[in-house]
Amino acid sequence: MLKFPWPLAILAACLASATVARAHEIVGNRFFPATLAIDDPGVNDEMSLPTISMSKTGDDPSFKQLDISGEFSKRITEDFAVSFAPTWSRLYAPGGRVMNGAQGFQNLETTFKYRLFKNAEHEFIISAGLVIEWGGTGAKDIGAERFNVYTPTIYFGKGFGDLPDSLNWARPFALTGQFGYAIPGVSQTTTIITDPDTGEQDIDKEFQPRVFTWGATLQYSMPYLKSAVADLGLPDFVNRLIPIVEASLQTPMSNTLTSGTVTTGTINPGIIYLGNTFQVAIEAVIPVNRQSGTSVGVIGQLHFYLDDIFPNTLGRPIFASSINSGRPLFGR
Amino acid sequence: MRIIAAIALVLASTGATVAHALLDHATPRVGSSVASAPKEVVLSFTERLEPAFSSIEVRNEQGASVNAGKATVGSDRTQLRVPLKQLPAGTYKVIWQVLSVDTHRTQGNFTFRVGQ
Repeated sequence: MLKFPWPLAILAACLASATVARAHEIVGNRFFPATLAIDDPGVNDEMSLPTISMSKTGDDPSFKQLDISGEFSKRITEDFAVSFAPTWSRLYAPGGRVMNGAQGFQNLETTFKYRLFKNAEHEFIISAGLVIEWGGTGAKDIGAERFNVYTPTIYFGKGFGDLPDSLNWARPFALTGQFGYAIPGVSQTTTIITDPDTGEQDIDKEFQPRVFTWGATLQYSMPYLKSAVADLGLPDFVNRLIPIVEASLQTPMSNTLTSGTVTTGTINPGIIYLGNTFQVAIEAVIPVNRQSGTSVGVIGQLHFYLDDIFPNTLGRPIFASSINSGRPLFGR
Repeated sequence: MRIIAAIALVLASTGATVAHALLDHATPRVGSSVASAPKEVVLSFTERLEPAFSSIEVRNEQGASVNAGKATVGSDRTQLRVPLKQLPAGTYKVIWQVLSVDTHRTQGNFTFRVGQ
């Protein structure tokens, strides 16, 4: 029986959209920007609106996928934030109008993130989070699952500003990364499929794998070069750029009978422009293998620093006690 | 999509007022070598500062402070300056910490060289 390969596409889409939440962070000299393919270690008040990506899936035959997403992150305390990230997707199925694809919202994602440690001198930060994809909140047409997926995640960031002066050229570099383990709320799902030609019914059992989600970014900060290493007198536009390469990968680890164990993901070279209260970024999306996609896609994002735009209201923690974190909304 | 564009436009237009105070430029220039010893260090920031919570310390290679006085904020509140003792040739580290008027604290450091 002919089966359109939605499950693989949906798994890839869900895992890809699972990394839409973003943040930004200042640690000593270092400004860690919001990144697109993976989440960065920052805990802050901010909003990405919109993030738009276009890519071709790794299915056979492949088809185009358009994602338009947003993310709103709110600090509850100085070190703890909750974010919400809806994603609207359109899948352009192969065959044009005959198989016109599907569209709708993915399951809503919520991320709870806590900043564990921050060291200004060594430009180091580590945070822990829990990402929950709420089953049943998205459209079935695009394969949003009916069950929750829980992903405990560790995030880190390290700037290389503490390198010796002899390595001054390398001090603007920074590395960020994340490691998570996606645990579906169910181990398997069963779908009854009716063959449109014969009317015969078939039972499709799909095992839901536990997936190691991992990734990293390597950044070269021109703002850091100018303000902490050497002011070369470059144009202001150049001094606001951060060239970046991101990698976002997923490896099924267990319960992989139907999913397989192949690592999928993308490598995203791109560039970020920093404004005073916002940033704009664009990246190429390069699949790491055939299962991850069949051509180079693109992703772009407009991101707002709400802590800078609304420092006395929306952009400060609901509960805070220190001056450098902004005044609390309620009392002190 | 129109709603998204409208929200983005509102946020972009709203966001031109205050932000984290980041170092825009410095005199002596960040990472530079100067032939004669500067009398002061002047830092220009991207936002206005709270004088009571903004400071500069300049240290020599032994880690001793070479400040000749207290750091002061200029009338436009975006410049922070500190007078220096007579500096012999060497490498100096400028360590700054400021609080912007919207209560965001930022910090940083850089070096400059005299007579090299």
